[in-house]
Amino acid sequence: MLDLKNLKKTFNPKTVNEKVALDGLNLHLEDNDFVTVIGGNGAGKSTMLNAIAGVWPIDQGSIVIDGTDVSHLPEHRRAPLLGRVFQDPMTGTAATMQIEENLALAARRGDKRTLKAGITRAERAQYRDLLATLGLGLEDRMTAKVGLLSGGQRQALTLLMATLKKPRLLLLDEHTAALDPRTAEKVLQLSEKIVTENRLMTLMVTHNMRDAIRYGNRLIMMNDGKVILDIAGEEKKRLTVENLMTAFFKASGEEFANDRALLS
Amino acid sequence: MNFSALLNAMPGAVAQGLIWGIMAIGVYITYKVLDLADLTVDGSMATGGAVCVMLMLNGVNVWLALLCAMLAGMLAGLLTGVFHTAMGIPPILAGILTQLSLYSINLAIMDFKANQGINVTKYALIVSQRNVRTAGLNNPILTALLILALLIGILYWFFGTELGSALRATGANEAMSRAQGINTNMAKILGLMISNSIVALSSALLSHYQGFVDVNMGRGAIVIGLAAVIISEVIFGKLFRNFALKLTGVALGAVIYYIVIQVVLWLGLNTNLLKLLSALIVAVFLGIPYWKAHFSARYAGKGGRGHA
Amino acid sequence: MKKAVVMILALVLTLCMCAGALAEETYRVGVCQLVQHVALDAATLGFQDALTEKLGDKVSFDVQNASGDSNTCSTIVNNFVSADVDLIMANATPALQAAVAATDSIPILGTSVTDYATALDISDWTGATGMNVSGTSDLAPLQQQADMLHELFPDAKTVGLLYCSAEPNSKYQVDVITEALTALGYACVEYTFADSNDVASVTQSACDGCDVLYIPTDNTAASCTEAIRNVVEPALKPVIAGEEGICAGCGVATLSISYYDLGYATGEMAYEVLANGADVASMAVRFAPNVTREYNAEMCALLGVQIPEDYVAIQ
Repeated sequence: MLDLKNLKKTFNPKTVNEKVALDGLNLHLEDNDFVTVIGGNGAGKSTMLNAIAGVWPIDQGSIVIDGTDVSHLPEHRRAPLLGRVFQDPMTGTAATMQIEENLALAARRGDKRTLKAGITRAERAQYRDLLATLGLGLEDRMTAKVGLLSGGQRQALTLLMATLKKPRLLLLDEHTAALDPRTAEKVLQLSEKIVTENRLMTLMVTHNMRDAIRYGNRLIMMNDGKVILDIAGEEKKRLTVENLMTAFFKASGEEFANDRALLS
Repeated sequence: MNFSALLNAMPGAVAQGLIWGIMAIGVYITYKVLDLADLTVDGSMATGGAVCVMLMLNGVNVWLALLCAMLAGMLAGLLTGVFHTAMGIPPILAGILTQLSLYSINLAIMDFKANQGINVTKYALIVSQRNVRTAGLNNPILTALLILALLIGILYWFFGTELGSALRATGANEAMSRAQGINTNMAKILGLMISNSIVALSSALLSHYQGFVDVNMGRGAIVIGLAAVIISEVIFGKLFRNFALKLTGVALGAVIYYIVIQVVLWLGLNTNLLKLLSALIVAVFLGIPYWKAHFSARYAGKGGRGHA
Repeated sequence: MKKAVVMILALVLTLCMCAGALAEETYRVGVCQLVQHVALDAATLGFQDALTEKLGDKVSFDVQNASGDSNTCSTIVNNFVSADVDLIMANATPALQAAVAATDSIPILGTSVTDYATALDISDWTGATGMNVSGTSDLAPLQQQADMLHELFPDAKTVGLLYCSAEPNSKYQVDVITEALTALGYACVEYTFADSNDVASVTQSACDGCDVLYIPTDNTAASCTEAIRNVVEPALKPVIAGEEGICAGCGVATLSISYYDLGYATGEMAYEVLANGADVASMAVRFAPNVTREYNAEMCALLGVQIPEDYVAIQ
């Protein structure tokens, strides 16, 4: 379970660049929720994910994951609960380290790093099998530096890393935005497969309306740092891009504006 | 020009290079592995010698004194790390602050004397320039090689452990490291401590080799350390992929640096120009990767048009 | 890669100013000087003059300067030892220490070194080192300097001792003169600066706390006398200096030794060793041959200090 209560965050307070990014955000997720998140420019989608991950301290409110209040924990101490994939393929992996080393780092997420071997033989075998499931041929390049991989390969690897050790909550932050459409499709299908197989509680931000409707069991729409629309179950299955736009207009009183939104 | 004199000068250059090579490995850990430019070393390059020599003059066993020197270097790294992580000071400035404070601390360690000699006939020094041409077990080249081999072995093992991997990850990608639950601030502090303890080890050995410690001993040390790192990258970059080999390359880089200096002196360069030469060596080796990229890009450009 | 090597070689060749061609001379002497500095330069010159006077063209010099980097001294003496020179002259403390670390067979003569016992870590000092080292000390006659301060300022209470903490010789001089001044009834306070950046502010606090200042033979102080003068002159505090250069810049009086004479005396010792086979180990360390009582007429007039007849004005 995830509980966000009255989250507030203002960037650059008391300057001309002041920006209220989260304005009393409330959200509750059940254990098996796979929620897609859409919204206009600056609606606070990524800010919400970063607040949960603890990239910076929040101004107000509380974040509770499975009964643990993480509101004031530093980023690295929330990591045991969270799996994260970022928009920029560069962010999720260490480019100068080998594929297997990256996986080994992720396998120890939340554990105390000791003077034991950074990677064991048994792990290598496990990673080889795991990489083979991606069908990208990475299992034969385990000692290659991650910097040599394509963006799609890196995102697929990051997805594996985020879920290698089962997280309580998976945060996907526009993780296909930087990929070409075909690769994006592949990575999305992989994401769904992993989420379903592991029954992961997931928040997926996307700029693609169709994907938001197609994936997950629940869809939320954000505007001005708040959730303005929350559609689940059967109602979500019947959604179309058109009635989503109409709903947005009704709830916010303004036109939907997102530079990169794919409406078709 | 007497060529045998040059050959005769080589052992000295090699020994000096190997001792500075240890220091360069310390610089490599911050500059390359952690991706931090740490200027603490200009201070800790005197701290290690100061602690080691003063303890030995007070009757402490040489190996224990060496260990204490490394601990002192660790404290210096800790100070820089705290300046950087707990007080948000940019790493270069944090290093400069520690370097500055180490000047006073080093003086205090040396009983407020700027220079302290240590007599090779009275103390069991680990390395001494005096034995650099002898064929025995006390030859400083042999000792320095042994210490280097041990150091590289330990570092190779350490950076393969979970903790060492966490340090490398922090240098490679901080955001990713935090997302994987690594306390990157602690990793940086630990890296700075390891690096400066290695620099202090080198400093202690250098004070033995030269027979004295001077409060200004570390001035410009970072330039020599970076020179070694960059020389090794240019010469051995393609050859040495393995981490242990890379560290070996860095030590060789320092040896090459001192051989070049020795050759230049032998050729009769006015030593007043030595600093200029050092800066030029570093600048040229820094420039080589850039030129390479530049020229190969132009070449590739022409080739591309030819095909079109 | 090959390009890199060629470039470095080209660089090296262009930078090579003078190729030392030494073949048929009888004696080859390596001179390692710590840093470019008026006093040290004078000592090196005096040394060369003395040896050349006695040996003519039977001696050749390889003069190298470490530009203030004590590590470079090691590189330089390594060069000397490998070229198997007949004698090494080490000008300043780190140069001497590096030479001693490099060889125990080639005779070494030091100069501009204040205290051989401390520099070489010799505990039972007898006046000679007992090893392949001797030379001259630039120790100013500190007792006489204390007496001079007493003669000029008998009513002063507190003496501020101003020097650079990076210079071993300064600390030594200050320790010695503190003893002498305390015996004469003065209270002594030390004021140290780390480099030329701190000089003005440290001098200011010395002026605030003391009646008279004393500056020993200190290279850093010598290089920023103007900054010191800018503070002491408005504060009307007289400075007794350890050497002529500092006195000329910001002091009122000094007992001066000549570094040229000191170098010359070292040259004479070198002749004894080279030509007459004298044993360095038993040669006593020598001190400056003459001292002169000198004063800075301009500063004395400004500060209203009365100078006895037998002092010589610095030109």
